[in-house]
Amino acid sequence: MLEFILEPLNYAFMVRGLIAAVLVGVVSAVVGTYIVLRGMAFFGDALAHAILPGIAVGYLVGGGAREPLFWWALATAILSSLGIGAISRNTQIKEDTAIGIVFAGMFALGVALISTVGNYTVDLAHFLFGDVLGVRNADLWLIAVFGGFVLLAILAFYKEFMVLSFDPILAATLRLPVRLLDFLILILIAVTIVVSLQTVGVALMVAMLVTPAATAYLLTRRLPVMMALAASIASISGVIGLYISYYLSIASGSAIVLTCTAIFGLVWGIRSLVRVNL
Amino acid sequence: MKYWLSFLLVLLLAGCATPAPDAGSAQGAASLTVVTTTTIVGDIVTQVGGDHIQLSILLPVGADPHSFDPTPQDVAQVADADIIFANGAGLEAFLDNLIESAGATERVVYLDQGIEFVSGLEQAATGEADHAGGDPHLWTDPNNVMVWVHTITRTLNELDPANAITYSANADTYAAKLLTLDSWIRQQVALIPAENREIVTDHAQLGYFVQEYGFKQVGAIVPGYSSMAEPSAQELAHIEDEIASLGVKAIFVGNTVNPTLAERVAEDTGTQIVFFYTGSLSAPGGEAATYLEYMRYNTTAIVDALK
Repeated sequence: MLEFILEPLNYAFMVRGLIAAVLVGVVSAVVGTYIVLRGMAFFGDALAHAILPGIAVGYLVGGGAREPLFWWALATAILSSLGIGAISRNTQIKEDTAIGIVFAGMFALGVALISTVGNYTVDLAHFLFGDVLGVRNADLWLIAVFGGFVLLAILAFYKEFMVLSFDPILAATLRLPVRLLDFLILILIAVTIVVSLQTVGVALMVAMLVTPAATAYLLTRRLPVMMALAASIASISGVIGLYISYYLSIASGSAIVLTCTAIFGLVWGIRSLVRVNL
Repeated sequence: MKYWLSFLLVLLLAGCATPAPDAGSAQGAASLTVVTTTTIVGDIVTQVGGDHIQLSILLPVGADPHSFDPTPQDVAQVADADIIFANGAGLEAFLDNLIESAGATERVVYLDQGIEFVSGLEQAATGEADHAGGDPHLWTDPNNVMVWVHTITRTLNELDPANAITYSANADTYAAKLLTLDSWIRQQVALIPAENREIVTDHAQLGYFVQEYGFKQVGAIVPGYSSMAEPSAQELAHIEDEIASLGVKAIFVGNTVNPTLAERVAEDTGTQIVFFYTGSLSAPGGEAATYLEYMRYNTTAIVDALK
């Protein structure tokens, strides 16, 4: 049994992959609780597309260097999320529709930029996307630093965010700076998305953002419990998924996502049989 | 507000009305309009067709044929072409839809005809091979390109009998260059000690080269023939073991793909990454602007890394 657990750890990429999956899992799942509560599950996927113009410009400006692309993507993601926030705050348009407008526009802008240049040497759309097996040590620091920053910010504004997520009307009555907090939450989500994207790739990022938090939501309505549950489910899925990928030879991202999905199905099944209330 | 809107509309319309740049439209003498998919097919067709054809190439320099998305201009070019040359063997995944919407099904010539497919990579049998026929990277062996030259010449001669003598003469000249290239590659490969002739690539794209010149494909970072597949942890562990136990000296990575995974494998196993040209030539005037330069560049890169 011990052999079974230790054997994959002989490979440096497995160790880095496990650390990355757990770190990304914890940060994404905690941030994901806000995403699930606000009903903006497609924000992750949308931002992954919306950063394309930033990557295209960054690629051209940087003469093909890959390192600066992360910062271009981050800046574009933050701008896009602020755009989404501005549209949904200042118009009657709902947030998910605002996401659709910004995502489609930004993605099209990216494709237009790339097709205008014509002579591009890489498949830019996939150039930033990481793979959980291809994580660098530098990437681990990147998640640790940005993830730590995101978690600290959530801790600092914990009460405000909670009121805002569960009862926006109360938040307004309490005279909280609703608009500012709203933008802050969108920025935190955007940072989490870009960092996850760069380390583990788009499919895994979307799943880690939504599925564990949704699973936790089946079990509890209390925010701290929901966050802890989501973070545990995400990290456990990351570890189990990577072991499945190692022993059953399934593409790693898919193995982790499917583990998340299976845990969701399991919890859903159990919940419909017995009442659980945490 | 209204004024601005109409101004914007005018701008948009003006943008649309700008005529599309048409490659090679200056050649008034051209008698055939030819479209090719990749820059490599384009180069070979140019060698045979010379000034008598007006050539457009669908894929921009550096584009990965596995993930190319055609524009309406591309569809229009295909619709207007007298003949379309494609690599075939499943390389151009975008092509079926494109030729159908352009109504050009009858006018496509696939250059995989008369070439025996290899499927040298064992991993491909278990992995996600999206080309049923085998490795689609036919041009990595100049002897396959010799077959292309025959197919292209035959096609052009049928369509444009008036210039058949020129096409055949061009083809003979180029065939001689291919023969020279072939023997030059053999000389170069002979410089690599026999026990070092082991190749690891990012995806299986050197199958014909490997088979023709006596290499052994140890494996590929991404299973299968397409750059779009993803490996499992087991496959990656397997390839690292192979690299370590065989003492493989380099990992060859196409210069159009995301090299993240290959870089990690190289770091973990202490091998070096060598970039080479895969599905596309370099820009005109670059280090691999023609097929002959492309093969020489890649061969030199491989020989330098392994000898």
